[in-house]
Amino acid sequence: MNPGACSREKELTQLLARGQWPEATPLDLRNHVSACRRCGDLVLVTETFRRARIEAIGSARPGSPGALWWRAQLRRRTAAVERVGKPILGAQIFALSINLILMVGLVASQARHGLGWLTRMEALLPAAGMHLERLWPAALLNPGWGILVIVPAIATLALLGGAVVYFSSER
Amino acid sequence: MRKPKPMPLESVFPKLVAGDTPVAAEPLMDNEAFAGFHERSARALWSYLARTSGDPALADDLMQESYVRLLCAAHPPDGEVAGRRYLFRIATNLLRDHWRRPQPSSIDELPEELFIATAGTAQADSQAVLGPALILMRPRDRQLLWLAYAEGYSHREIAEITGLASASIRLLLFRARRKIAALLRDQDSETRRKP
Repeated sequence: MNPGACSREKELTQLLARGQWPEATPLDLRNHVSACRRCGDLVLVTETFRRARIEAIGSARPGSPGALWWRAQLRRRTAAVERVGKPILGAQIFALSINLILMVGLVASQARHGLGWLTRMEALLPAAGMHLERLWPAALLNPGWGILVIVPAIATLALLGGAVVYFSSER
Repeated sequence: MRKPKPMPLESVFPKLVAGDTPVAAEPLMDNEAFAGFHERSARALWSYLARTSGDPALADDLMQESYVRLLCAAHPPDGEVAGRRYLFRIATNLLRDHWRRPQPSSIDELPEELFIATAGTAQADSQAVLGPALILMRPRDRQLLWLAYAEGYSHREIAEITGLASASIRLLLFRARRKIAALLRDQDSETRRKP
């Protein structure tokens, strides 16, 4: 769409762009501009903006390019470090999740069966002259009481594991 | 058939292998080349930002951010002209983001320059002429007008900078030009009427 297009607008635009208005402009075009509203607007707006640009450039405060360059370098490095750090964080989260799942599984298994495996080991070890029953209280061998010891122990391990993950991921 | 050269590990992970902090791809230009580009483009960019925003302090901030973003660009353009156009595009987007944010509601928060420009002082410079008219224009129209008539960008280039459709630039510019021309004429006739 070209609302109310003027046939001489293109020619006038080129003259304005080359800085040939009004001195190097044919008389008939100058007469046309004074009669044509659209071309008059073009000249008025172009000249006003050009003057404004010249004045604004004179009062511009460009600042130091060196500071900007180093700021950009710093930002690029930070972004690169973050990019590298992302997979490490993902791996840490994955490892922590696996540990937690295993711990929950272990707790569940011990809650169901108690410390039966200790009884089995006890049966195997007397031949070697070892008496494991002296190392732990009898309550541990009871499925009801064993969980009271195992759960705090695993909770302590989980807390320690969490602390290790936290401190190792601190930058 | 030529045997492909084995790629050295340093080229894949340059800084990791070197034991230094890893960095992104190579910068757009080195410090000296950037200083030259900055020298040639900063004043024009500042003028664009200052005049379309009406706030020189904001123009300072946005100009710095524009250059930093240009240097950090993942796919920087090739060549001075394209780089300059890209810079104006970044600045245009930053300005647009600024306008989209909630504006200050207190009169104390408004930049002083707005009042200087609208106070109608006897300044004969273009700021006094263009400033009040520009403030009455929509932000997008201010950008279009400055890019077209101050910077002399073509419609295609303006479309690239502003992200608008190339086909609509002509009509938008025509309307904006008609409006600001009317404002400038009104202002001129008011000035003449004043003793």
